[in-house]
Amino acid sequence: MIRNFRFRLVGVGVHDTSRRLYGAKSFFVSLSKIIMSSSWISPPTRTELIENLVSGVDRYNPSNVGILEDYLYHQIRSQEYDCLANLAILKLYQFNPDLYNPDVVVNILIKALGASPLPDFNLCISLLDERPPNAALDEPDPLPALLPLLHGLHHLLYRCRFPAFWRAYRSEQLESLRDNYTVECAGFEDSIREVVIRAVKSTFTRIGTDRLSLYLDLHSPEALKAYIDKLDWTLNSDGTVVSIPPNPDNQIEAIVVQESIKLPQLGKVISQAAKV
Amino acid sequence: MSRATLWSTADMDEDLAEAVDVQLSMYAQQGQNSAVYDQLGAQMEQLEPFLAIQQHMAALAAVPDVVKSFIVSFQQAILNHDLPSITMFYTTTFPKLTEKFYARTEWPEPEIIAPLLSSNEATEDQIHIFLVLYRDLYYRHVYSRLHPNIDDRFHSYENSCELFNYLLNSPSSADDESDEPAPVDLVLPEQWLWDIIDEFIYQFQVFCSWRSKVKSKTDDEILMLADGTGVWSSYSVLNVLYSLIQKSKINEYIIALKEEQGKGGARTAEEIAESISPYTALPLYRSLGYFSVLGLLRVHVLLGDFTLALKVMDQVGEFLLGGSSFGAKANKPSITALPTLPATHISTHYYVGFCYMMLRRYPDAIRTFVTVLNFFQRMQRMRGYGGYERKDQYDQIAKTADRTLALYAMCHSLVLPGSPFTRLDDNITNTAKERYGEQMGRMSRGGGDTLGAFEELFLYACPKFINANSPPYHDPETIGLMLSAETADSGEGALASDPTQRHLRLFLSSAAAQSPLPTLRSFLHLYTSLTTEKLSSFLDLAKLSESNREETAEDLEAEEAIQEMMVLKQNSRSVSRVVPAQGITDKGKEASSAGAAAKGSLLEGEMISTSDLNFVIDDNTIHIAESTVGRRYAGWFIKNTERSQRVLDEIRASPLPKPKPATVAAPPPEAQKKPKTVAWGGARA
Repeated sequence: MIRNFRFRLVGVGVHDTSRRLYGAKSFFVSLSKIIMSSSWISPPTRTELIENLVSGVDRYNPSNVGILEDYLYHQIRSQEYDCLANLAILKLYQFNPDLYNPDVVVNILIKALGASPLPDFNLCISLLDERPPNAALDEPDPLPALLPLLHGLHHLLYRCRFPAFWRAYRSEQLESLRDNYTVECAGFEDSIREVVIRAVKSTFTRIGTDRLSLYLDLHSPEALKAYIDKLDWTLNSDGTVVSIPPNPDNQIEAIVVQESIKLPQLGKVISQAAKV
Repeated sequence: MSRATLWSTADMDEDLAEAVDVQLSMYAQQGQNSAVYDQLGAQMEQLEPFLAIQQHMAALAAVPDVVKSFIVSFQQAILNHDLPSITMFYTTTFPKLTEKFYARTEWPEPEIIAPLLSSNEATEDQIHIFLVLYRDLYYRHVYSRLHPNIDDRFHSYENSCELFNYLLNSPSSADDESDEPAPVDLVLPEQWLWDIIDEFIYQFQVFCSWRSKVKSKTDDEILMLADGTGVWSSYSVLNVLYSLIQKSKINEYIIALKEEQGKGGARTAEEIAESISPYTALPLYRSLGYFSVLGLLRVHVLLGDFTLALKVMDQVGEFLLGGSSFGAKANKPSITALPTLPATHISTHYYVGFCYMMLRRYPDAIRTFVTVLNFFQRMQRMRGYGGYERKDQYDQIAKTADRTLALYAMCHSLVLPGSPFTRLDDNITNTAKERYGEQMGRMSRGGGDTLGAFEELFLYACPKFINANSPPYHDPETIGLMLSAETADSGEGALASDPTQRHLRLFLSSAAAQSPLPTLRSFLHLYTSLTTEKLSSFLDLAKLSESNREETAEDLEAEEAIQEMMVLKQNSRSVSRVVPAQGITDKGKEASSAGAAAKGSLLEGEMISTSDLNFVIDDNTIHIAESTVGRRYAGWFIKNTERSQRVLDEIRASPLPKPKPATVAAPPPEAQKKPKTVAWGGARA
C-alpha cells in the first residue's frame, strides 16, 4: 500500500492577501506594487505610450527623453511609481551625457527610496556612470553632494533603522534635500511610512504604540490613530498596543518537510513486483 | 617637421594608403598649404601601388606553402557551401597553423594573400566576402595573442561593420526587382557565428576599458580618438545586435514554436521558420539572431542595466533556462531548431545568474548557477576537453565556469544557512567548498572579515563593466582637467570612476546589511519563545564593536535588536521565479498547488520564504518556529530496488556455467534461479 506523502513547506509566500486586505484605496495602491511581479514590471498606471516606449527600441531615441521625464513628474505629483520607466531615463542619460538633468536623477532616487526593500535604488545607482568634470552645466551639479546622503538614507531603510532614518531625514544636513526635492514629491513621507509598514507587518503580530509611532514618525496619538485606522489595524483597550491582522508572513507554524513520493517513481518497482 | 613624418610612415609596410591618408587629413586640418599637399598626394598616389605591390609580393613569397594551400581550399569550401569542410578548417586547421607558424606574429595581411584568391573562379564580391571573413579571423588572432594598437582597433571595427552590413543589407540579386535587402547565400558553422558575435562584444568591451584610461594615451591616439567618435560607440553596437534580432525575427519564431507545441501541431520547425520571413528560414540568420539576443544580454550587463538584460531574454530565456514545456532539461532541448553550444550555455547562465544576484534574488541565482555547473561538470567528464578541439576555447569556458562557481559560493553564503535552497545540490556545494572554502568560511561566519571575502570573490567573478561613454577626447580642456585631477588624487579619483567599483560598493552594502544576521539566527535556534530583553542581552554579549552607538541605554539595545529582527525577516523572504510545491499545512488547508514550474519572463516571480527559521514578534515576545526536513529514504530505496532487480535479470540472462565433469548437472539451473541477496544498509539521513 503506497501512501502519498505530501510535501510541506514553511512560510507560504503568495501575497495576494495584501490586495484583499487593503482594498482599492488609492493611498495603498502602491503597497501591492512592491511585489516584483507583473505589476512591478508594468504597473497598471502606465499608459500605452510609455509601455511601447519602454518595451521597444524607441527607448534609445534621445528625443523621447522628454516624454519619459514628463511621466516621471506625473509620478511625483500623483504618488505613482514606475521603476522600469525611470530606469529608461537613466539609461538615456548614460548614452547621451548632454541630456543629463540632475534634478531628474535626484527625483528618481527619491522615488526609489520608497520601494525598499526591493533593489530599485541599487539599480538606479548602477546606471549612473561617472561624469567627467563638466564645465558646460549652468549651475553646479548638486548630485555629487546629495548622492552620499541618499546612499545613507537608503542604507538606513534597508537595515530597518527607522528612528535613525527619521532623525537623519529631519536633520540639518538634509535640509537642501528636503527643501528642494522631497517637498515636491507628493506623499514622499507616506511612501517611507509604507516601507515601515511592510517591515512591521511581516514581523509583528502586536506592537506597542510607542514603538510604532517612533517608526512612523507620527508623534501625536491622534495622527497615529488616524493612520492605524486607515490600515484596518486595531488598537487594544488601553491604547498601548496595536494588533496587526494575520498575513502570510506573520503566521508561523512549525513544519516538517517530508518527501512526496509520486506514483510514477514507484512504477518500475511495482511492475517488477507484479511480474513475480 | 611635416615632410619627415610623411616619408617615414611610407617606410612601413603596413597599410600604406591608410597611414598616409590619416596623416594627410590631420595635417590638412591644421591648415597647412594645400597646394603643396595636392602635389605630394598625387605623387604618392602614383608611386603607392607599385611600392605596395612589390612589398606584397615579397611578403607573399614568405608565406609558407601550407598556409597558402589552406587559404585556397578554405575559400573553395566557402564558395561551395561545404559546411563540414568549413567547420573542419575553422575549428582544426586554422588553430593548428596558428600554433605552428603564427604563434607570436600576425597572420599575413589580407592584401598580401589577395592574389591567391583569384585563382578560383570567384567573383569580385565573393573574394571580397572571403577577405572580410579572413580579416575577422586575423583580428581575432591579434586581439587574443598580440597586443592590438589603435589602428588595429579602428580597423577591426570597420571590418565588423562591413561584415554586418553585408549580412543585413545586401542588395538582392539582379533578377529581383525590389529594393529590399535579401538574405545572403552563405553557410557558416555555428561555432563561427557565435564567435563573431562574441568577439564583436569582446572587442567593444576591451576598447571601452582601453578608452577610459586617459592617462596612458599618446597625443596621436588622443587625436585619433577625437576624430573617431563613431567607432565602437555603444549605439552602433546595440544597433547591430538589435538589427540582427529584428531581421531574423527570432522572437516571433520562438513564440510560433511554442504555440505549435502548445497546439500539438504537426508543422516542423523549418515550416514555421519559412512562414515567418525569408530570413528566418535560413539557419545562418536564425543562429545569428539567437546569438544576438545572448549578446544583448551581455552588453546590458556590462553597462550595468540588469533589468533590461533580463527583459531582453523574455522569449529566449524560457527556452534556454528550462522549466517550461520546451524540454525537460535545459541541456537537452526537445526542439533542436535553435543552436546550443556549450560556450553559449555557460556564458548565458553566468550573466543571467549575475543579474539575479544584483537584484538580490539569490534563490533564482543559485538555481541558475547550479544548472550550469552541473552541465559543466558533466562536460568535463567527457572525453578530453569536453568535445572542444581547441584547448584555448576550453580554457575560456573553464574560466567562466570558475567564476560562476565563485558567484555561487557568494550566493550560498547570502542565502541564510539552513534554508531549503542550500540543500539544493550538495555536489556543487562541495565543489565550491573545495575551491573557495576559506572565503566561504569567512563569509558565512559573519563578523568583521566578511566584507573582505566578499570583495575578493566579487572582483574576481564579476563581468568587466564598462563606461558607456568615452572621456571627452574632443574637448581638450576637459581632458586636461581630467589628467590633472587624476594625478592629484591618484588612488581615490581613478577608482571612483571605475564602474566595477561602483557595483562592488552596491553589492557590499547588501552583504554588509546581512553580516550581523548569522549570530542572531544562532540565538533564535535555541528557543521557541524569547523576550526582547533577553535577546538584546545575548546580543550585547556577542556584540562586535558598533560604531554608531551613542548611549548604552537598555532601551536602545532592545531597539537595535528588534530592528535587526526586522532585517532578518526581510532577508528570509525573496522573490523567486520558481515556487516550490505547496502542500497541506497543519490546519489541513490546501495551499496553492503550484508545483516546481517556472513560467513567464525572467523578471517575474513571487515572494517565497528562504529560511527554515520563522519567527514573529508579539509586542515584546518573540515566537519562533523551526521547520525541519524529515528523513528521506524513498530515493535510496527505489534506486537499490531497481539495481538489485537489474542484477537479478542479468544473472538470469547470463549463460549457464559449464558444468564441471566431476559434478552432477542438477545444481546449475537452481544456481541460476537463486536470487542474489543484497545487504540493505541503514537508511541515509
